[in-house]
Amino acid sequence: MSFEEEILMELKAEITARAQRRRRTGRRLLTGAAVAGLAAAAAIMVPVLTGAERPAYAVTKHADGTISVKLNELRDADELEQDLKRMGVPADITYLEPGKWCKEGRGEIVGGGSEWKDSASDKAARLGLSGLEIDPRYVGEGQTLVMAFSENTDQTSGRKTPEVAWQFAAYVVNGPAKPCVVVDNPIWDDVDGPGLPPAGS
Amino acid sequence: MLRKQAQIATDHVAFEAFYRRHVDAVTRFLARRVDDPHTVADLVAEVFMAVLDSAHTYRAELGSEIAWLYGVARNRLSTERRRSFKEWRLTSRVSGRRPLDSDDIAKLEERIDAERPARQIFMAMADLPEGERAVLELVVIDQLTVTEAAMALGIRPGTAKVRLHRARRTLRALPFVMEGTPA
Repeated sequence: MSFEEEILMELKAEITARAQRRRRTGRRLLTGAAVAGLAAAAAIMVPVLTGAERPAYAVTKHADGTISVKLNELRDADELEQDLKRMGVPADITYLEPGKWCKEGRGEIVGGGSEWKDSASDKAARLGLSGLEIDPRYVGEGQTLVMAFSENTDQTSGRKTPEVAWQFAAYVVNGPAKPCVVVDNPIWDDVDGPGLPPAGS
Repeated sequence: MLRKQAQIATDHVAFEAFYRRHVDAVTRFLARRVDDPHTVADLVAEVFMAVLDSAHTYRAELGSEIAWLYGVARNRLSTERRRSFKEWRLTSRVSGRRPLDSDDIAKLEERIDAERPARQIFMAMADLPEGERAVLELVVIDQLTVTEAAMALGIRPGTAKVRLHRARRTLRALPFVMEGTPA
């Protein structure tokens, strides 16, 4: 093989390795921001979603009791709440405009102290490769799974500034969640700023 | 991850097309400046690796891919020069080289030989101030337009024009300096 082909192979391997690192970092950011007591925020590229005929989401219950939610569009939050309730998960779901966020203080967060990692809040809902993965075992009697999503609808290329594609927060509170008070999200567009741990941390 | 990635940095197919489009030009660009096959091959790899890091800085409206790529290559090259100077001072041992077979070496040496006149011109230009030399080199030797050279160097086209003019005035006795595209 010529050196050009060898270099190309090395570089392709690097592209793959970087894509994997990005996915891992996304998950770490999610946890890190929650520990910091901020609205947990993660941003991962999502494809542009179009087509009004498609259902906004698809829920799948697995044999092990976990639930997968594939979100196609951020609408019909109430219906998703009802579907999850039928599957035994009381949930409070909020879809927000880009740049907006729910004010803190929506209830007593399980694992809100120092033991966030591996707490029920950390494990109850996670973003996986196929979408949102919910594990009902971590939402106890009388507790509520609180989730907030915000998507940047402008996914077109060629923007001059780096942008958050979407943000997601999930945690479990004791009792029902207080209503979302919409506020400006201070860390929106703050891609590598002080609001989030640096990429790769 | 949070940033909008340019497609060539994330997509194998797009990257391969980009690589094949430009690997030859980049190899020649480096062979005009470095006369060791191993270093040229290493630098080709480094330049395209740097492309993955800085693909988001490329904006089509500002100029051609090749001008942007030469800018990346220049940066890698100056890093390499600093490093080789350091290595030369610390030790004469050369290690960690990319393994090249004899075909690769023959091919690279051919490129390096073909670019010999260019390297001689570089020596003649050595006494110019760095800013002027950089513009002259990209226009005369690498055949960029002044606008492209400005992009590669991250300066305004007007500034590049002034520097090119000054460099040509200084070196007007040498035959090559008026070559290269005028605009």
